[in-house]
Amino acid sequence: MSADHLISVKDLKKHYNGGAIKALDGVSIDIDKGEVVVIIGPSGSGKSTLLRSLNLLETPTSGNIYFEGEDITSKNIDINKFRQKMGMVFQHFNLFPHLTILKNMTLAPRKLKHESKEEAEAFARELLKKVALQDRADAYPSQLSGGQKQRIAIVRALAMKPDVLLFDEPTSALDPEMVGEVLDVMKDLAKEGMTMVVVTHEMGFAREVGDRIIFMDEGKIVVEGTPEEIFGQTDNDRLKTFLAKVL
Amino acid sequence: MYLYELSIRDWWEDLKATFILNFIADDRYMLLVKGLGNTFLVTLGATILGILLGVIVALVRSTYDKNITDMQPGFGKGVLITLNKIASAYLTVIRGTPMLVQLMIAYFVIFVSISQHKTIVAIIAFGINSGAYVAEIIRSGIMSIDPGQFEAGRSLGFNYAQTMLYIIIPQALKNVLPALANEFIVLIKETSVSCYIGLHDLTKGGEIIRSRTYTAFMPLLAVAIIYLVIVMFFTKLVGILERRLRNSER
Repeated sequence: MSADHLISVKDLKKHYNGGAIKALDGVSIDIDKGEVVVIIGPSGSGKSTLLRSLNLLETPTSGNIYFEGEDITSKNIDINKFRQKMGMVFQHFNLFPHLTILKNMTLAPRKLKHESKEEAEAFARELLKKVALQDRADAYPSQLSGGQKQRIAIVRALAMKPDVLLFDEPTSALDPEMVGEVLDVMKDLAKEGMTMVVVTHEMGFAREVGDRIIFMDEGKIVVEGTPEEIFGQTDNDRLKTFLAKVL
Repeated sequence: MYLYELSIRDWWEDLKATFILNFIADDRYMLLVKGLGNTFLVTLGATILGILLGVIVALVRSTYDKNITDMQPGFGKGVLITLNKIASAYLTVIRGTPMLVQLMIAYFVIFVSISQHKTIVAIIAFGINSGAYVAEIIRSGIMSIDPGQFEAGRSLGFNYAQTMLYIIIPQALKNVLPALANEFIVLIKETSVSCYIGLHDLTKGGEIIRSRTYTAFMPLLAVAIIYLVIVMFFTKLVGILERRLRNSER
């Protein structure tokens, strides 16, 4: 079933208050391995809800999500197993403040994948080098800047060697001068072939890195296409209005 | 002048005599020492029992608060609802009745069969009482942790219990450690009501001396001073602890 797509979402709905509020109103998308999918849209359009549904941080009201061919919305499935393969990066970083950077990164690999301390730390240090933070391994999150925290959050997710990374507005809580350093890390990841689903307001990033852009509004996918199609001449009025506001 | 000196000397001699009568004669100070030992024993035992009970009740209550709206109907939900009801009833009853009444019910009604072990009855009664207050302290600690921490744990693949154990509880306990230490200090003073069941704690020690020497001032003052010194000592300790916690990780 849909084994050729990494993630396949079928008619996903998320309703609140017994259907009075439709955060997601029948969304279907396919995401392939190695693809960078960027989700854009006005606030309240359901883009974050969609992203958070992909690893079931939000429980959908109806619809199905297939990850590597398996229906993860099925009741008999151990979602924790699948979440290990779906890294997530949050708007507010959500690093664990009581643990050092190294412990933040090795906690899950050690406890969930039973990696040895040496093995987990060696890989963590390798990842830290990649984001140029190898000298902060023993620091605590509160000692880092916002941009550094988000880079750590990305490598913490990578430490589990996930098959896909989900980004929930990763630069929205950052000071403007720190946005670049985080986007650069994400660009490098995209180049390495990491599958990424990114909810963002960074239109420059969407245009440059996105393989496919999804424009959402009122819980639905309104337009879907390549960056050229989205940012070029579009004849969709809602997309035009949105782009006029953000560009 | 001479008279004045005489009266001071009289007063001093008098004081010395009362002191000797109350504390030195017949080694009466030992009554206080023994009582102090029991006070510490009951406080320590009750603190351990209280924290155990408190953590369990806090976990039930916060798990209920966090999850009940998203849970599918089924066995798990039924169990959680029942556990939460028991926990709520426990908190309501214990926090809604006086400690002294609880202690007397424990001693004269529930644990009649082991009533010769007054210390054990007192530890159980104070532990159950303290657990209710500790539970609310720990629950507030758990609820004060940013929900993002929980989501981050779950997104890495930890299940609910693992996320609690590795991520939420360590942060929550750290946040409420000063409040827990204060609960311990309050408990030290509260155990003084255990002389109502005849337990020889510090207060009872003073009472025994008073009944033997027919002087109230010295023994009661001594008891008050000992409590005060202990409480001041632990308050100071909590202050140091709090400062340490604030400075760490910064």
